[in-house]
Amino acid sequence: MRNVLAALRRLFHAVLLGLVGAGIVHIVVLLLVPEFSERDAWSRLSMASDLYRMNRLDAEAGGAPVVKSVDPLFYATACRFDLEEGMVRIKAPGNVPFWSVSVYDRNGHNIYSFNDHTATGGKLDAVVLTPAQMIDVRKDLPEDLQGAIFVEAPIDEGIFVIRSFVPDDSWKPIVSRFLDESSCELQDS
Amino acid sequence: MLKNAFLMLLSLAIAIGGGGASVWYALKIQDGVGAIRIGQWTAFPDIGTPAADPYSKARVAREGVLALGRAEGLSFVAENDAAGDQLKRECTYRIEGGFPTARFWTLYAADQSLGVVETGKPRLAALQSYEVLRQADNSVIISVGHHPMQGNWLLTDGSGRMYFVLTFYDTPIASSTGLSDVSLPRIVKAGCDA
Repeated sequence: MRNVLAALRRLFHAVLLGLVGAGIVHIVVLLLVPEFSERDAWSRLSMASDLYRMNRLDAEAGGAPVVKSVDPLFYATACRFDLEEGMVRIKAPGNVPFWSVSVYDRNGHNIYSFNDHTATGGKLDAVVLTPAQMIDVRKDLPEDLQGAIFVEAPIDEGIFVIRSFVPDDSWKPIVSRFLDESSCELQDS
Repeated sequence: MLKNAFLMLLSLAIAIGGGGASVWYALKIQDGVGAIRIGQWTAFPDIGTPAADPYSKARVAREGVLALGRAEGLSFVAENDAAGDQLKRECTYRIEGGFPTARFWTLYAADQSLGVVETGKPRLAALQSYEVLRQADNSVIISVGHHPMQGNWLLTDGSGRMYFVLTFYDTPIASSTGLSDVSLPRIVKAGCDA
């Protein structure tokens, strides 16, 4: 009898220890998921294209969308960049009903966003750079960067996404061209 | 000695199995921390930002989402109608009421993964605010169903669970102060195909 009770108590101890351990494992796994995920936006994009290459996110361009769940009435394109190599400039010509852009860090967190109302004359011309590069650029602002929107981001690797609204079918070619002609370039500084 | 080893294994199994399974379950359920509910609509204004909670961060990493920024817009998802029943693709619904201030909004019928419902027709299962007819008081009535309906018609197809995704673009409600007194349209079930 005594033996059975002792065994039960030890079993109870083991289960309790297991539950406490489960709590710890839960927290550790939760915090490690973003570090080790191979399905995050960055990994998916890097399988699809190189750094500084625009890559369409909607299904319109053929094939399954690289990054899921963009609004069906929207087209989108994205490029990856690395600010350690220098600042990056994003431009897109033409006029569309609405565009908005977001800068994401390596983990897919939205760092900064703006839309066409922010830009001069609705033209998309933006430069993403680190605060240190910003100081350098401020000293001597190149002529052709005067109209650009400067996005100061304290990151190295990141993703730039342009989204554009397609009100109806007649806008499809125009919006498609707007996104296909957008560029994502490493600026020499 | 053997008993000790067994108990240790048991503890380890519970710790690793339970810990892993609970994370997997927490990431699978749609609902979560940081949700804002207005009527039947749910939004996660913090998702995809550095300020998000660890669960949202893990979900973003696992699903590869690139969430809309504050200056872009805010998405609401509905999974139930006004009576609290799950939305079904084989049913017809009426979405009626006023919409908060925004440059424009889009509404689409979505499947489990929040991708747009495949209709198999040229018409998308989506509507936007520039193309809807409005009532005299600026409210909107949208009919959702398989068959053409007068007024604003949102086409759906198939059967099974359905979600509505309503996104407001360039809107003041995306800043959290604007979210307190927002009212969103009601979703009323009109009937179901047998």
